[in-house]
Amino acid sequence: MKKLLVIILLMLLTSFLVFALKDISEEDQQPVDPPVKVNNYVYKADRNTNPRVDHSEFEILKQEFKSAHDVTAACLSCHNRTHLDVMGTSHWLWQRSEELKGKGVVPLGKRNILNNFCIGVSGSEATCTRCHIGYGYADKNFNFDEPTNIDCLVCHDNSGTYKKAKGGAGYPDESVDLNYVAQNIGTSTRANCGVCHFWGGGGNNVKHGDLEISMTEPTTEIDVHMGIDGEDMQCVECHTTERHQMAGKLYALSSENKNRATCEQCHTNTPHKDKLLNEHNLRVACQTCHIPVYAKVNSTKMWWDWSTAGRLDENGNQIHESDADGNHNYLSIKGNFVYDDHVIPEYYWFNGTANHQLITDKIDTVPVQMNTLYGSYKDKGTNGSGGVSKIWPVKVHRGKQIYDPVNKTLIQPKLWSKNVGDSAYWKDFDWNKAAAAGMKYLGLPYSGQYDFIETEMYWPLNHMVSKKEKSLTCVDCHTRHEGRLADLTDFYLPGRDRSAFLDGFGILVILGTLLGVIIHAVLRRILRKKCFFQNESIK
Amino acid sequence: MKKIYIYKGFERFWHWSQALIIGFLGLTGFEIHGSYKLFGFDHAVRWHSTAAWAFLILIVFAIFWHITTGEWRQYIPTTKLLKEQFMYYIGGIFQNAPHPTNKTVYNKFNPLQRMIYLGLKILVIPIMVLTGFLYLYFHYPKFGIELDGLHSVALFHTFGAYILLAFVIAHVYLTTVTGVKPLSSIKAMITGWEEMDEAEVKKVVEEEMEVALLDIKEKFKAGAEKSDFLDEALEGVEERLGVVKRDTKFRDAIRNSGAGYFCIGRDGLYKEVNETWLKLYKYKRDEIIGKHYRLSRNEEDFKELEATVQRVLQGETINHGEVKRICKDGSIGYHTLTLSPVLINEKIECFEGFIIDTTDKHLAEKELLKKQIRIEEKLKDRKNK
Repeated sequence: MKKLLVIILLMLLTSFLVFALKDISEEDQQPVDPPVKVNNYVYKADRNTNPRVDHSEFEILKQEFKSAHDVTAACLSCHNRTHLDVMGTSHWLWQRSEELKGKGVVPLGKRNILNNFCIGVSGSEATCTRCHIGYGYADKNFNFDEPTNIDCLVCHDNSGTYKKAKGGAGYPDESVDLNYVAQNIGTSTRANCGVCHFWGGGGNNVKHGDLEISMTEPTTEIDVHMGIDGEDMQCVECHTTERHQMAGKLYALSSENKNRATCEQCHTNTPHKDKLLNEHNLRVACQTCHIPVYAKVNSTKMWWDWSTAGRLDENGNQIHESDADGNHNYLSIKGNFVYDDHVIPEYYWFNGTANHQLITDKIDTVPVQMNTLYGSYKDKGTNGSGGVSKIWPVKVHRGKQIYDPVNKTLIQPKLWSKNVGDSAYWKDFDWNKAAAAGMKYLGLPYSGQYDFIETEMYWPLNHMVSKKEKSLTCVDCHTRHEGRLADLTDFYLPGRDRSAFLDGFGILVILGTLLGVIIHAVLRRILRKKCFFQNESIK
Repeated sequence: MKKIYIYKGFERFWHWSQALIIGFLGLTGFEIHGSYKLFGFDHAVRWHSTAAWAFLILIVFAIFWHITTGEWRQYIPTTKLLKEQFMYYIGGIFQNAPHPTNKTVYNKFNPLQRMIYLGLKILVIPIMVLTGFLYLYFHYPKFGIELDGLHSVALFHTFGAYILLAFVIAHVYLTTVTGVKPLSSIKAMITGWEEMDEAEVKKVVEEEMEVALLDIKEKFKAGAEKSDFLDEALEGVEERLGVVKRDTKFRDAIRNSGAGYFCIGRDGLYKEVNETWLKLYKYKRDEIIGKHYRLSRNEEDFKELEATVQRVLQGETINHGEVKRICKDGSIGYHTLTLSPVLINEKIECFEGFIIDTTDKHLAEKELLKKQIRIEEKLKDRKNK
């Protein structure tokens, strides 16, 4: 018996030795707390933050500026080639040539693209170009070649006092002290970028979901990179900029897999100590696990139904209705909305290339896909597809918007005007007139009939990166029921997928074996006992 | 009941660590499959991989062991008694019928076991290892070889897991069937010592000896007198080990005796003779063993001897006077002999005896007789003269 025990002990010991060793090495691999090792990035603590230049000392910036153009001229008097850089950017041009699958290389950008928010800028430029880095972009005749049309201040104001006028075609508000602003300029901050990128679509966090006012001064709970209690990173630290060309792609407007700002540029593609996690990066974007939820503070718009717009009260006044959280859920000029916060992303394969429903494209799917993110499990980036497809978290914005049921195209309605009677929908509430005016402005046909059609638009998420403790865990996806990837069914996911037939067969085999064993044992007991007694009696 | 050592140290280590690892792989594997939550998916995945590596190392050692010890022969499938074994499990077992096959060191597995273990070794385990590796290393595009997906890999892997699970259930149950007591098979696998009844043990011992002797025989193929050599060696070993000591001395006395010894079966065929006998008859051992004793007599004498043999076979012991023998070369010799029956299991199976050569005496007497005759003749002649 003693020997027996020794043997059992020996076996257990050797077997567990393997696991013990493994466990020890795993403990070594516990990720150390920040600073995380990164490339191409200098930690805040190691940086010299003193400004290299004090613009308040320059005489030329102390003059009384008569117009905003004069400020630009003053800037260019020193930065005398910089306008050449700026005027080549998409921030300025609002378009660049991009290849669309099946459509070739087309000029693409805010100038001509449609979305399912405010639909498009055409015909309403004067209000939309409040977010253009220029002065005077009031219609399609804007002069993109005039250097003094550049608005340097909107991106470089560090005073926090600059703002553009509403409906002012990009000119600053009257209240702005141009001298003060000009003397307090510097590198773009979150506030500079946010003034447009947080407010796109006509309100805070309407569009992105992961970019909104709370990101101006976020905590690390909201965004681990930009959190003011952490590294306090600025947008431009990831969206690296070379001569005003900023890295980063927004697939609401872009379609090609180039010039993207990525996590890997600092974190490399093997950021984890753990091999198994690093392997996931081959087919899963960092964002998927590290942005478990978006719209963490303020709600984002999930649904916009234009078809209900135009309802006025009995006095002919516009109606504003809000939901319990204080978000609009009805506006006469825009229709119905649904807002949501702490939204769980939807997940799609994405290889870095996209397509867009152009205003000239025939509608062939319902809901209309405003932009299509390409990718699939099988797409490993081998046949020129862009990159390897990875699983991405996406905000999908759905809605209903105006289209031409005869010509089978989307419609660009004229929405904004200063004056009533200008065919602008937001003044006259007449869809037919707005549609006719908008399409005429673009030189495109309009049948005279309009209707509303469902649309979907995809916004890959990149911001509001959570702390590592809050990132997704295995079972968020590797689970049989209601996992995050429940709808991504074009591949076998361990822990989620199974063959019901095989499992049924397996369970049958196991139960069959068990049953067989039990029956055998019972029979043995009963029959043997009988035999035994018989033998006894014979003896 | 006797105990006999059947399972060697490594074998037991291999069996139990394999059982442990497969059990653990099953536990973690079915968690990964999504069947239940136990360790947490994360741990299940990591530990499953670790256990898989441990299993692989064990397999390498086990293969080495199987080859070097020749134990792989235990898995050569046979259809002999396969049906009987099966019928036993579904029939005989309920009626306390005897087990159709015996477990021995050189034949540990019954035909059914052989078949199933072989199936595990060359089919199920390889499939599990292969699909496991594909699962681990070829699901992401890293090595050029890529899988279109894990679907088929996972199916095979899961299928194998179900088969293994079913096997384990049946296997564990059947251990309670075959032993002397329900747990004795498991105990045997832990200690190496199997409990058996005496008849079985005897069989095992005999078989082991047989195998050992065959082994040695193989090694001395060249020697012409190998059987002598083996007999002597065996007797030497037996003596050293203290088995049949007395007997051996007695045998030696016979072997080296100046008298010729013979042993003849009921059938009249020579079973054994000693060196002196061979010398007297001028035969070599191979030439006489298995031959009839008719060879050693002429027609007349044979009939007489046959009559004597009949009496011996009835149980009589006879001290015979001088007889004439015919040697191999046809020459003639004389000897006296004794004949006594040999009892085996209380039955007379053969008879044995000694011969003492009297040829010289016989010739001398003959010569004396001749001389006497001559003298008498001469005396007669003288008288007549």
